[in-house]
Amino acid sequence: MSRGRVPAGAVPPPRTIGPLTQTDVVRFAGAGGDFNPLHHDPEVAAQAGFDRPIAMGQLTAGLAAAWLTDWCGVEHLRALRVRFVAPLLIGDVVVLSASLATDQSDRAGLSHLDLVASVGERPVLLGWCTIAST
Amino acid sequence: MATSLIGTVVDDVVLTVERGKVLEMARATRAEDPVHTDPAAAQGAGFAEQVATATHVVTAGHLRDQLAYVRALGLVRERIVVGEVAWDFTRPLVVGDTVRGTRTVVGDETKPGKRGGSMRIITLQTAYRDATGGLVVRQTESIIEREVPA
Repeated sequence: MSRGRVPAGAVPPPRTIGPLTQTDVVRFAGAGGDFNPLHHDPEVAAQAGFDRPIAMGQLTAGLAAAWLTDWCGVEHLRALRVRFVAPLLIGDVVVLSASLATDQSDRAGLSHLDLVASVGERPVLLGWCTIAST
Repeated sequence: MATSLIGTVVDDVVLTVERGKVLEMARATRAEDPVHTDPAAAQGAGFAEQVATATHVVTAGHLRDQLAYVRALGLVRERIVVGEVAWDFTRPLVVGDTVRGTRTVVGDETKPGKRGGSMRIITLQTAYRDATGGLVVRQTESIIEREVPA
């Protein structure tokens, strides 16, 4: 059997993650293969102007994708686009949230959502996705 | 003005979706759906096998040399950041899939920066195809080489 789709017009409840630890970042480095020292070496982070290591953009993107697909089903995610607008730092608490995009006009059975990952009032990632819905 | 890089092939990877790697990515990205971690749950939901998370192709990082590609494109590592990433999905990857992805430059633009210099935006696209040649997922990345102040 296959799984049902979320209703058209629905949005996922927000997900809060963190405080992000160095271990979270190292775990993602091992999983994904990104060993840029900016993400685990405080000296390299300092040379780049950060007071502590920063998360990979792909980690934030992965957190957002997993939050979405836990809700809609991974087989129903058609497209995802993310823009990295500010660094996510070790120690940050990030909140993922979604709203229905203004423009829903193309085909029945597809929903478009606007996404944001924020630390307090500061957005770190903006995103857009298309999911198969009822 | 640098020569346009459009059409340049950056790298080529063959990625096999491994059970342990699916589990690692699911944990690393806080995915809670058991289809990623439990083959029985995956089968109960209609999949042949344990299902990879949506952005699983990021694990191609283990197969790529990120410094070599920066050098090959003539970019300065310290000045580059990833601006955007997009994925277009045809179907989810499942354990046992093998896909091949050829990463190609599809965009190369230079724009005026905010500090009087210029910034360059390189767009890379990787189409991951399965053994039958079918497109599984397409990843598009925009790499920004930040301006050198004028």
